[in-house]
Amino acid sequence: MGLSLIWYLREFARREWIKKFLFAKTAPLVTPSHFRGFPEPTGKTCQHALFCMMVCPAPGAIEVLHDGDRWMPRIHKGHCIRCGLCVEACPNGVLKSGRILETMGREGTSLLFSFRIAIDLELCTGCGNCCTACPVNKGIDAQMGAGGHSSNDDVIMRVQKGDIVVIHEDKCTGCKTCEVSCPTGAIRIARILEGYQQPVHEGLQ
Amino acid sequence: MNLLQRIKNKVRARSIHVAYVDVGSCNGCDIEVLACLAPRYDIEQYGIYVHNNPREADVLLVIGAYTPGWEEKLGMVWEKIPDPKVAVAIGNCPISGCLFNRRESFVDAPVKKHIPIAAEVPGCPPRPTEILEAILSVRDSVFANWEESHP
Ligand code: SF4
Ligand code: SF4
Ligand code: SF4
Ligand code: SF4
Repeated sequence: MGLSLIWYLREFARREWIKKFLFAKTAPLVTPSHFRGFPEPTGKTCQHALFCMMVCPAPGAIEVLHDGDRWMPRIHKGHCIRCGLCVEACPNGVLKSGRILETMGREGTSLLFSFRIAIDLELCTGCGNCCTACPVNKGIDAQMGAGGHSSNDDVIMRVQKGDIVVIHEDKCTGCKTCEVSCPTGAIRIARILEGYQQPVHEGLQ
Repeated sequence: MNLLQRIKNKVRARSIHVAYVDVGSCNGCDIEVLACLAPRYDIEQYGIYVHNNPREADVLLVIGAYTPGWEEKLGMVWEKIPDPKVAVAIGNCPISGCLFNRRESFVDAPVKKHIPIAAEVPGCPPRPTEILEAILSVRDSVFANWEESHP
């Protein structure tokens, strides 16, 4: 009886025990740097390709805003789910999160966007709104007026003899401006996202 | 502030009771709250006890995007909690509605329209460490000088 009392007193007087009794046992855990956090800028220049906004699955999570003299994506906490797709989709490596960029570089993976323009000729009235609204068309042929006629063969699409003709689908950037400007809903843009991995050869790793 | 009050503040900040309510989530955040109880994060070492009874709670963790079924009920749960009390929004859902807040969906986010929210933990789901930090950040202010500020 006496012995065990002394044993207890000695146990309770141990510094380790007092520390554990008074303070938390587990130190607050730190988040390892490889965890995916909210995407952060790497410092590279945003080219306003908007692929981040197109790929983002969460409503209102990312916006590309004009900040002073340059474009910059802004992540909205409370909306962003930290999936990291914007980091993968950006062709310029503007964003980083965890070790996504390192993994992509090591494994040669990327996300590729392409766009298809589908026009329902039954609905299309040949008004040319889409051709004049398209910002890419505007850049190629600034002279294109209402009606969507153009003598420039480099434009994405133009109106020829009252019919809309798509010439350079590959130049489409998927902005969907044409969709909103079409009065009959005849034009539809499909955004196609493909995962791509470069073949890794044995011995090269 | 007298000594008694100071001791009360100290002791009460280390004895927090937590209740959580899921107002329509995918259960991802519930799992992370559950992970806080596990030995790895061990929420009880900070004197925080999760037993999910609003009448005994000090901190209410709100999870989920507020579906129509909660319209009368969340207010009732909030009323049942005795003062002093705070609510903490866990995850994107109570902050913005997360992925569920789309056109023609029925969720009525953010939850702070319905009850006052003291702290928000963004993430889908937030990590247990982030949930812990949020609860620890409000625990000092919940009870601080309660008798003096509410004579
Ligand atoms: S991490 Fe995912 S959810 Fe967040 S902004 Fe990027 S794509 Fe959107
Ligand atoms: S999506 Fe944009 S770039 Fe493509 S055709 Fe329409 S307006 Fe032009
Ligand atoms: S805006 Fe619509 S209706 Fe007009 S030319 Fe383009 S696709 Fe046809
Ligand atoms: S924030 Fe994300 S993980 Fe949490 S309940 Fe909502 S959808 Fe689920």
